[in-house]
Amino acid sequence: MISRLRELYRHRELIENLVVRDLKVRYKNSVLGFVWSLLNPLLLMVVFTIVFTIMLPNLTIPKFPVFVMCALLPWNFFNTSVMSALNSIVHNGHLIKKVYFPREVLPISTVLSNFVNFALSLPVLFLLIIFFKVPITIWILYLPLIMLVQVAFTVGVSLILATVNVFYRDTGVIMEVVMQAWFFLTPVFYPVDLLPEWKTVWGVALPVRRLTYILNPMASIIASYRSVLYGFTNGSPPAAPAFDFFSRTVVTALLCMVIGYAVFTKYSHRFGEEV
Amino acid sequence: MSLRLSGDDGIIRLLRSKCPGERKMPVIDVEHVSKSFYLYPDRPRSFQELVVNLFRRRGERTPSRQVLWALRDVSFRVEAGETLGIIGANGSGKSTCLKLLTRILEPTEGKITVKGRVSALLELGAGFHPELTGRENIFLHGSVLGMSRKEMKQRFDDIVAFAELERFIDIPVKFYSSGMYVRLAFATAINVSPDILLVDEVLAVGDQSFQEKCLERIHELKAEGVTIIFVSHSLDAVRNLCDRAIWLDQGILREDGVTDVVVARYLQHVYEREEEKALAAQEASRQRRERAVAQEGSEEEEKGASAEQEEQDHAEGREVQNVESESDPLARYRNRWGSRQAEIVDVYFLNEAGERRLLFATGEPMQIVIRYRAHERIEHPMFGLAIHRSDGLQINGPNNIFADFDIPFIQGEGEVRYIMESLPLLEGAYYVTAALYDTDGTHAYDHQALYYRFRVHRGQVGERYGVIYIPAKWAHFPHGAEEGEANR
Repeated sequence: MISRLRELYRHRELIENLVVRDLKVRYKNSVLGFVWSLLNPLLLMVVFTIVFTIMLPNLTIPKFPVFVMCALLPWNFFNTSVMSALNSIVHNGHLIKKVYFPREVLPISTVLSNFVNFALSLPVLFLLIIFFKVPITIWILYLPLIMLVQVAFTVGVSLILATVNVFYRDTGVIMEVVMQAWFFLTPVFYPVDLLPEWKTVWGVALPVRRLTYILNPMASIIASYRSVLYGFTNGSPPAAPAFDFFSRTVVTALLCMVIGYAVFTKYSHRFGEEV
Repeated sequence: MSLRLSGDDGIIRLLRSKCPGERKMPVIDVEHVSKSFYLYPDRPRSFQELVVNLFRRRGERTPSRQVLWALRDVSFRVEAGETLGIIGANGSGKSTCLKLLTRILEPTEGKITVKGRVSALLELGAGFHPELTGRENIFLHGSVLGMSRKEMKQRFDDIVAFAELERFIDIPVKFYSSGMYVRLAFATAINVSPDILLVDEVLAVGDQSFQEKCLERIHELKAEGVTIIFVSHSLDAVRNLCDRAIWLDQGILREDGVTDVVVARYLQHVYEREEEKALAAQEASRQRRERAVAQEGSEEEEKGASAEQEEQDHAEGREVQNVESESDPLARYRNRWGSRQAEIVDVYFLNEAGERRLLFATGEPMQIVIRYRAHERIEHPMFGLAIHRSDGLQINGPNNIFADFDIPFIQGEGEVRYIMESLPLLEGAYYVTAALYDTDGTHAYDHQALYYRFRVHRGQVGERYGVIYIPAKWAHFPHGAEEGEANR
């Protein structure tokens, strides 16, 4: 394990280069270049702002565009990362079969290049925050930490799914549906307070809200983003996420990354013949 | 080099002379390595199939997997600075072996230790991205091989100069011609200062001058002390580059030693196998012919030589052509005519020991046997032969009348032999025409044009250009030196 990590470290420049390659290729063929990565969230925000302030102004959630965007951007980062990392091994089969390098480089660099995209869209989010006069507090310093936690979690999920996809090629199709469901199970468009505390299903009382956080690390991560960027639906300003809640989130994300890495390294020696 | 070095002693002696002094550390250590591939006829490739399989009855889902052993218990070591060639037929495990060394595949059993940076010329340009420029791809590929940006910067100019792509280096490689692409790939792979270079049959790329440049560069690296593993079907290339060779045969290490010895053993094996196949094909065709003759025996003899026979012969011709691996360029000129009062039943070739062979080495004794069957008494017949090269060139055309060898008469069965003490033909495929005529050569009893084949491989004779080997000696007389003694 240690030697594998050391090997991965030796190939850090490869990760860097692959990220740069991804970004270059993504923007090379478009006239506007990297402006697209800004334009996309910007347009999205304009649409949200129009819809929720002009067309549906009576929503009970104040500053709804900010409320949605500070959850939607992280979710999009997660979604695109997972869906493209899933195919990173299979699509680079020609490389895998011809050259040796630590295979985890591929999903990791995919996640990281999406992360760069995500980071590039943050200025636009700040514009929105300023526009809606959401107070910017000291707790915004939590933001990089939360982002790191999300990267860890995303890498973990990506490593597992990329491995599974090598052996079962319809993983992508299944994951599209799963990601849809996951999206709706994650409080992106609705506040988590909207969920009932308890709900009885077939005679079993389920703590729905707690379960959402426990079973869905993305819910916790997004709640953290919202807590430091937006505040609360009752109008109170941003605050640090509750300590025990946030540390649980960190542990879950790290655990997920370790498990993902373990699964990946367990099977990666077979990629050369299975791809 | 003589092949008659007595077996292992010879190899050991040669090995000692190659690497004197104390043993160096091996940089590649392959210990009892086996590699198997599972061939699943229907292993589920998707969750869908997995689920569907669950609902099938047990009998229906039989994932009867087959195991294919690409390598079995192979062990060898390569020391720093050595040049090792890997030879063997297709499917003998050469490429698997290289892929194991590059760690693309992992061994099923055994252990491989490789020390140092490995650069592999397996498939050139596999890591290139078409949208990126040549410059960007060089750096990207360098980092795939674990080089830092700084290291690559130092080598960048060399790479570009070697690839002769100065003008195009900032153009996306998708606009490159395939030759430019390969040149860039080769230049990158070979200039990353590898400790170990693995080369797999990639030299057949680019134009002639670039190929030579590549080989030259590989020789340079060899001189610099880079360890090189070279896989090629070109035995000449292996002989030129490698000090040592291993021969893989169906995943088993058959031989490990000095290149010339291993290559010679391998060639001998190849020729023997080829010969077995050819002999079997010939035997099968002979048996068919005899069966056909036996059937016709009950019918009228004269008509035996009619259309049916002709058809049979043609079918045989095609058969032989299919069985033999090589193409048969002269097949369409194969022909048979004559009145058949006497027939040539068979023509075959004997070696020194009197065994039937289809493969001979240049310089070996050889006999051509013509078996005949005369249905009536024929006085003073003329037996003739002609040997043709595979492009149709006639090499000779002897007969017993020219040779003043009189055969008073023939009746019934017998054989006539053409005896060569030393076969002068060089490597290649040869065709034999056999004919039986009357004394003055005007009436053909049986003429079989280009009916028989044999092959010659390079034996201990070094010559390879032209058609024949003339046993001759060389001498040297420097003028102006002291008179008298010739410098032989």
